[in-house]
Amino acid sequence: MIYKRKTPLLVFLIPAFLFLVVYLYYPFLQNIINTFMDIEGLGRPASGFNEVWYENYQRLFTDPNLRTALKNTLILTVCTVVFQVGIALVLALMVDSIRVGGQVFRTVYFFPIVISATALGLMFNLIFLYRGGMINQLLLNLGQLDYEIKANGKMIVQWIDWKDVEHFMTTMFSPVIWQYVGFYFVIIVTGLNNIPSELFEAAEIDGASGLKKIRYITLPLLKNVLFTCLILAITGSLKVFDLPWVMFGAGMPENQGWLTGTYMYDQTFNKMNVDYGSTIAVLIVVLGVLMSTLANKIFKRSDEY
Amino acid sequence: MKKVLAMFLVIAMGLSMVACGGTDKTGDNGDKSVTLNVVTSYGGDDGNRKNFEDAVKAYEQDTGNKVNDGSATSNEEWKAKVITDFETGSEPDVLFFFTNADAEPFITSGKVVSIEEIRTVYPDYAKNMKESMMATASDGKHYAVPSSGFWENMFVNTEVLAACGVSVPGPDYTWEQFLIDCQKIKDAGYTPIACSLFEVPHYWFEFMVMNNGTIDNQLDVPTVDANGNLVENATAKKWIAALEDLKTLYDKGFFPNNTLTATDAETVAMFGEGEAAFLIDGSWKVGYFTSNHGDELENYAISYVPAKGSRSASEAIGGISMGYFITTKAWNDPAKREAAIKFIEHMTSDEVMSKFVTTEVTALVNGAKPSGLNELQQSAADANSKITGVVGAVQDVISSEAKGDLFSNIQKVVTGQMTAKEAVESAMKLNK
Repeated sequence: MIYKRKTPLLVFLIPAFLFLVVYLYYPFLQNIINTFMDIEGLGRPASGFNEVWYENYQRLFTDPNLRTALKNTLILTVCTVVFQVGIALVLALMVDSIRVGGQVFRTVYFFPIVISATALGLMFNLIFLYRGGMINQLLLNLGQLDYEIKANGKMIVQWIDWKDVEHFMTTMFSPVIWQYVGFYFVIIVTGLNNIPSELFEAAEIDGASGLKKIRYITLPLLKNVLFTCLILAITGSLKVFDLPWVMFGAGMPENQGWLTGTYMYDQTFNKMNVDYGSTIAVLIVVLGVLMSTLANKIFKRSDEY
Repeated sequence: MKKVLAMFLVIAMGLSMVACGGTDKTGDNGDKSVTLNVVTSYGGDDGNRKNFEDAVKAYEQDTGNKVNDGSATSNEEWKAKVITDFETGSEPDVLFFFTNADAEPFITSGKVVSIEEIRTVYPDYAKNMKESMMATASDGKHYAVPSSGFWENMFVNTEVLAACGVSVPGPDYTWEQFLIDCQKIKDAGYTPIACSLFEVPHYWFEFMVMNNGTIDNQLDVPTVDANGNLVENATAKKWIAALEDLKTLYDKGFFPNNTLTATDAETVAMFGEGEAAFLIDGSWKVGYFTSNHGDELENYAISYVPAKGSRSASEAIGGISMGYFITTKAWNDPAKREAAIKFIEHMTSDEVMSKFVTTEVTALVNGAKPSGLNELQQSAADANSKITGVVGAVQDVISSEAKGDLFSNIQKVVTGQMTAKEAVESAMKLNK
C-alpha cells in the first residue's frame, strides 16, 4: 500500500460510513421491522405487532394489484434493457463513427435526463391528452379519427384514449424509456472512447468492414460497460416511480397500471397502510438483488480484453 | 486566519442560537408581548390564505403579540405531521385542525383543552357559536371552536342545458327526470355528467348512498362478520344499490368516454368549457370557477342532486369539519393563555368569519354576512337557502385504506369485473 499512515484515511472514511449507517442501513432495518407491525398512518407509532406477524408477507402472494405491478414491472424491465440500452448502444455507435458534431448529439441525447420527471410527465400528459391532445389532434388532422356532426352542428370526435387498458402500456413505457436513453448513451460513449484506436486501425489494415469491427472489436470490449448498463437498467426499472405516477396516478386504468414503485407509494401515502408499503419496499429490494445476481451469472463480467 | 474563521463561526452560531431562542419580548408600550405558535391549514395556495394573513396582521396590531405561522396545505401528510408533533411534544399553541376522528389521538391524550374548561375562566369564550354545531369528542366534551364549513351539491352548466332544451333542476328534481335529461343531453352531443370515476367517484357515491337510504342513516357503515363476509343488512344493501346506480349511469354512457382514465381537472375543465352539463362538487369549487371562468359565471349555477326513494333533492352533503383548538401547553403557560384565547376569539369573530365565508355553512349564532357575491356565489346562496337537510360525508367515517379500496374498485364495478357486493365486502374487510 502506498499510504504508510492509515489514520487520515479513516478520518475521511468514517463520516461517510456513519452517514450511510444512519440514513440508509438503520432506516432499512427499521423498515423490515415495520413490515411485522401494524402502522395506520404516516409518522404514527405502531399499535403493536400484526395479529399474524407475517401477514403482510402472506398478502404479497394474494394481492391481485401487486401481481399486476410485478407483471408490469417485469415487462418494463425487459423493455428497458432491450430498448433503453439497445437504442443507446446504436446511437452511441453512430455518434462515435461521425467525425464532426459528436458533442452536439451527446448534449441533445443527454438533455432529457436533466429535465424533472414531473415536468416531463406533465408534458407527456398533454401529448397523450384525450380531448385535444397533441397526438389526437394530429390524427384528426390526418383524417385518422372518426367524427360525427350532430343535427345541431356539434362535432363529436371519437378521440383515442391513450391511457385506457388497450394503450396504457405504450403510453406509460415510451416516456420512461425515452427519458433514460441519454443516460446509457453517455455511459456507452465513454466506454467507446476507452477502446484504443490502434485496434480499429489494425482491423482496417486487415480489411475489416464497419460491421465486422463492431462485432469483433467494439462489442467484446464494451462487454463490461454494457453489463454495468444492464444492472443499472434492471435495478432502475424496479424503482421507476415519478413519471408513471404523474401520468397515471394510482393504478390507472382500472387497476391495470400499477408498477411496484407506484403501488408501494400508494399503499404508504394514500392508503396509509405503512406496514404493507414497507413490505412492498422490502420486496423491491429483494427483487433488485435477485435480478442483479441473475444478470451477473448470465452475463459474467470479464476482466479480459 | 484560522482564529478569525473560528471567531466568525462562534459569533454566527451564537447569533443563530439567539434567533432560535427566546420568543418573548417587551412591547413598545411596556407590556410583555407574546409570540404564539399557530398551525392551520390556511397555508400554500389555500383560497383563504390572504384572508388569514390579513386577520393575523390585524390581531398582531391590536394586541402587540406576534404570530409564528406554521400553516400548511391540508393533506394526509400534514395531518400525520400535526399528530406526530403532539406525540413528540412539539405541538403549537393554537391549532386549526379537523374535528373528527383525526383529532382523537391528541384529545384522548389530554393535549388540548376543552371549551368547557376554558369557560370556567373565560365564560364568554365561543359564545357566538351555536352549541349544537360544535363537534363532540368521544369523551362528550367540545374542544374546537368551529370555523367555516363546506357543502357538496350539483353544479350545472346552464348554457349546455339550454342548448339541449333541458331546464335547470329545482329542489324537486327526481332521478327519473334526471335520466331523461341525461339522455337528451347525450343525444345532443354533450357529456351529461362531468366526473372522473378514476379520481373523484366519491361525490356521486355519497349522494347515491343517500338516494338509497335516508339522511338520518347516511353515516351508517356496512360491516363484515368474523369470517370476513359482508353482513347483508339494510346499510350494506344501500351501499350495493348506490354502486349499482353508478354502474347504470356508466352503462348508459352518461359519464365522459374517458371517465376511467381522466383526472378531476380534465372533467372539471370539460364542464367549465361547456362540454358537460352536470358536476357534483364542493363549495371550494366556486372559487375555482370565479378564478378560471370569471367572465362567464352566468353560464353556471348551483342546483340540486336528483333524488329517489325517500330522499329529497334539497338534502345535501355538508358540515363543519375544522375548528380552533388551544393546546394544554399554551393553556398552562400564563403568558400564552390570554394570547391564545384572544387569537381564537379574533379569528372566529362574526366580522372575521364573514370574510372567510361566501356560501359555506357556519356555526355563527348571528350567521355570516358575506358581501359582494358574484353570480355563482349568489346562485349557491340561493340554492343553500332552499336546502332542507345537511349531513356529513360517509367516506369520512371509514378508514383511509377501506376508502381507497372502495373507490378504486368502483372502476371494476362499473365495467362488470366485480359485483357491487364484492366491492363493498372488500372495502369493509379493511375498515378498522
